[in-house]
Amino acid sequence: MTESVMPPGDPATAAPSDTTPSAGTASSGPTRRTLMQGAALAAAGTVLARPAIVRAAEANPVKIGFIEDQSGNLSIYGIQKLHAARLAVQEINDGLTLAGGPVGTGVLGTMGMYAAKPPVVTSGPGAKLNVIDNGGTPDKSAIVEADTQEILIPSGEKGLLGRPVDLLSADGQSNNTLWQQLARRMIQQDKVDVLVAGFASAEREAIRPIVDQRKQLYFYTNQYEGGVADEYTFCTGAVCEQQVIPVMQYMVEKFGPKVFTIAANYNFGQLTAAWVRAFAPVLKAKVIGEEFPPLEVSEFSSVIAKVQAAKPDWVMTLLVGQNQSNYYPQAAAAGLHLPMASTVNMAQGYEHKRFTPPSLANMHNAVNYMQEIPTKRNQDFVARFYKMFPNDPYLGQMAQNTYFSIHLYAKAARLIGTTEQEKVRKTLEAGWTIEAPEGSVFLEPATHHASHFIRLAEANAKHEISFVREWPMIEAWWLQRLGVNLVRHPEHKQYTPQEDPFFKMFT
Amino acid sequence: MAADLASILYQFGTNAAFLLLSALGLIVILGMMNLINLAHGEFMMLGAYAASASVRVGVPFPLAIVVAFLATFVFGVVLERLVIRRFYGRELGALVTTWGISLILAQGTLLLFGPYMAPIPIPLGAVAAGTYSFSVYWLVLIAVSVLLVVGLAFLYRATPFGLQARATMQNPAMARSLGIRVGRIYMLTFGLGAGLAGLSGALLAPTTSIAPFMGQQFVAPAFITVVVGGGANVIAGAVGSSTILSLIETPVSLALGTFYGTMALLLMALLIIRVLPAGISSLGARLRPAVAR
Amino acid sequence: MMRALRLLNGPHDLGHGAIFWSGMAVLAAAFLAYPAIASAFTATNTAYYLLNIPMALGLSLLWGYGGVLSFGQIAFFGIAGYAYGIVAGNLQDVAWGTPIAVVAALVAAGITAAVFGYFVFFGRVAAWIVPILTLVLALLLSTFLGLTAGYEWAVGQVQLGGYNGMTGIPALQVGGLTFQDYPFYYLVVGVTAVAYLALRVWVNAHRGQVLLAVREDALRTELLGYDVRLEQLRAFVIAAVLAGVSGVLYVQWGNYITPSSMGLQQAALPVIWVAVGGRDSLLAVVISTFLLNQLSYALSSAGNQSALVIIGALLVAVMMFAPDGIVVGIARARWWRRRARARAAEGAHGD
Repeated sequence: MTESVMPPGDPATAAPSDTTPSAGTASSGPTRRTLMQGAALAAAGTVLARPAIVRAAEANPVKIGFIEDQSGNLSIYGIQKLHAARLAVQEINDGLTLAGGPVGTGVLGTMGMYAAKPPVVTSGPGAKLNVIDNGGTPDKSAIVEADTQEILIPSGEKGLLGRPVDLLSADGQSNNTLWQQLARRMIQQDKVDVLVAGFASAEREAIRPIVDQRKQLYFYTNQYEGGVADEYTFCTGAVCEQQVIPVMQYMVEKFGPKVFTIAANYNFGQLTAAWVRAFAPVLKAKVIGEEFPPLEVSEFSSVIAKVQAAKPDWVMTLLVGQNQSNYYPQAAAAGLHLPMASTVNMAQGYEHKRFTPPSLANMHNAVNYMQEIPTKRNQDFVARFYKMFPNDPYLGQMAQNTYFSIHLYAKAARLIGTTEQEKVRKTLEAGWTIEAPEGSVFLEPATHHASHFIRLAEANAKHEISFVREWPMIEAWWLQRLGVNLVRHPEHKQYTPQEDPFFKMFT
Repeated sequence: MAADLASILYQFGTNAAFLLLSALGLIVILGMMNLINLAHGEFMMLGAYAASASVRVGVPFPLAIVVAFLATFVFGVVLERLVIRRFYGRELGALVTTWGISLILAQGTLLLFGPYMAPIPIPLGAVAAGTYSFSVYWLVLIAVSVLLVVGLAFLYRATPFGLQARATMQNPAMARSLGIRVGRIYMLTFGLGAGLAGLSGALLAPTTSIAPFMGQQFVAPAFITVVVGGGANVIAGAVGSSTILSLIETPVSLALGTFYGTMALLLMALLIIRVLPAGISSLGARLRPAVAR
Repeated sequence: MMRALRLLNGPHDLGHGAIFWSGMAVLAAAFLAYPAIASAFTATNTAYYLLNIPMALGLSLLWGYGGVLSFGQIAFFGIAGYAYGIVAGNLQDVAWGTPIAVVAALVAAGITAAVFGYFVFFGRVAAWIVPILTLVLALLLSTFLGLTAGYEWAVGQVQLGGYNGMTGIPALQVGGLTFQDYPFYYLVVGVTAVAYLALRVWVNAHRGQVLLAVREDALRTELLGYDVRLEQLRAFVIAAVLAGVSGVLYVQWGNYITPSSMGLQQAALPVIWVAVGGRDSLLAVVISTFLLNQLSYALSSAGNQSALVIIGALLVAVMMFAPDGIVVGIARARWWRRRARARAAEGAHGD
């Protein structure tokens, strides 16, 4: 079974896999549950056939290596992610999995060919989710994804492949050198089956050479500036093209074309600002000013004065870290009440909870997840999370990404029947759709990036969140545009907008 | 045009007030006691935490600032008795010890109180001038920072405590023989420095996010301000250096961006120390033999 | 040769005589034999604990022997690391590219230190300001390098990489031998041992004694005809080059360097290693650097959130109860006790 489900080497053709019994039922009006049960049964068959090996395996848990910053400056994000990972591991060990399967097509509605209970596209009274239009009034006639599906379903076994799942977690202390040490330990000494790690891009870049050298299966679950094309790395967070363009489009329509960008002066800020610049002409926006404060700066009076002098219609704030979040209360106190847009704030560092209203009034962010998303599947997820961690302050975007990524890994390993890293990696390149708390997520095989359900979150003067526009599936298309295909041409680099001729036209 | 001028003045004032407030406690501990205190930022963090906790239980903000001062003062006094008093005259030992204390305070706060503390709303709103609008609270902070420095100078120049403290810092043995209780003076001075750090932490708390590692942002500005100011007359020196440094930083930031403003500040600090190794206040000391220590 | 050996056994460090040196030889043999029982991973990890020792030794020379504290050794560490990355990255097709890069990196660190040190020491800046100035240098460099994210920030074909750092730095290659895993371990052990022995000779030689004299009484040394400024500058440059050695070894280890390797937290580490061990003993610094690196890794890899609290408490405790450093404290205590016992025995005999 382990060998026959998916011949290694050419996953693209192997993916629809008509050689296995489970996929055979799949083509005749299947449900994903039966597919998964089939896989589980087949796994059980293996168990019976090779009892000695399995007994050895039981003593030998599946190891998920997990590095995040639990102390130091970035711990505010790291602890959320750690807790979400713990929840996912516990669910796997309790015999649960998220709905989903390979060979999704990446388009809403059509993935139902293979999905157990596909999301139903509906309109009218059946839709439980209220879509709110620009004016803030509920508009029930909008087309939405119906929210009746239970996404957490039995996996057919407790644990993974008859083995318990262990979360090996280490604290990176917001220190890049330590990150490298820990990654080496996880890979070389603990020999983890999968590595899930990384908040800051610097942390990812610190460990990626080690990951590549040892051919380690690696999930980077953060939202980031985009461009990582790496054979061994799967980036399950949202990237610039999924966030910058939607939020800009909305802001231009609602508030006007003139935008002032304030971005943290390092890779993420500069690259995201380049996206804003490059797509401004397409979206009929006009960048009338840019300011790049260093990460160390925490006092923003000159930035605020520049914005006031430039008189933009709205401000794009791409500020990162503890010091820079001071901008919001300072700007509010200085009477700067312009509409704001961002791709980072609120969804990660829950600034809308930490700062006193109205510092973040009128902030807009195109997010793939926030705990306030009013769907049933998300409310269930939030309830499960706070049941396990009642004292946690927030459940954010990266935590959700970590959660579904770990489930996704377990599903892929279960399907292929082994934790052998190369095989799991090839299986993950079979076009998976997973039903995450945010909605359906499609893992694009060629670029190892995920398409996301993007929602435009808006904070009001009391810092209450409403979702004013939705894009049920935005692809991470930029690496495809550059011709990246990791299945056929493995590579290990990070592309930057300077390599794309389109960006050169404007920057 | 008048509005532009007001805006430039406002930026200059906030930059200078930020430097001065960051440096306030360090003026006493580094400038007067000659103790390199790397836990300075964490003292400010404690002040902000005390203020935030007080505001949360219903204490009005001005009173919360007083609470923050008293809390960090007591903390400073206890710390001085338990640890710091062993390190007078051993500057480098103090440096390592206070670094250790700062690690304990910051990470300990994270473990005890979680990754952030309830914020304090910025009081007082804004005033408009032409296209610009200014935070009234920052205007108040500018005034308060000046008042605090004047008050500190008064304390050290015109009160018996100030006289005894200056004598002790200059020559402890001589001071002891004159009947001054040297140990107590050291304890109170360190407590005052800690309390002032806590006070400015509380004052700056509404403008920043209150979190265990917030102190780090103040350390570099504080040390630069005090060192550039120099030891001949620390209080006047700190005023002078915060003025000069923000005179450099503000126009460069306006013209070229915040990054170059920060670089200009750091380079200017290096340059001043090269030209005036004893700091800006040594200029004044050359003109007038003042005793400030 | 004999002279060097005599200097090696000289008085200005802990440990003398046949028993001590046989112990050292056993220790060296243990380190050489270690890879036989260690996996490539543990050997590389042990190499990491060792590779900071040259930087710590340099600081010990400067601070413990010369009385000048630098808080910015990490700046020279970073300059050498970046310089190695730039030169080695550009000379990838050249046969001796990486050894050339090592030389270039050390020269870069040395020259920066010479220029900066000239301003500091020939400006006769007050002693307590030097640590702050060097710290500002480190912060300035890390702030600047953090900015260099764009494509325009490239030297030849090597991207500086901004805050995310410079990646893919090639490992040292001599002939057909690439220094990775076990060879890298032996390289680090060798470099560390040479750095320690050479500095031991140096502090016991004439120049080292002059440096000690400067620490004890700068004015008197000057009146004896030595240029104090020059002596301090010399120690500063040596310390910077040693920090550069650590920087070059560090980029070999991780193939990667970021501006945050020069941040405030990193800047304090060498000072802590040296202070905890005992700044006026090279041997003590070697021991404490090795052990503290190991401790901090062990704490954090166990997922212990109190790691920073424990390290902080350790620092405070050491400075309070063993102000000369923990290793020096233990060594001196034993030596003192033995002498006291000997004296007591002598006294009894005399009666």
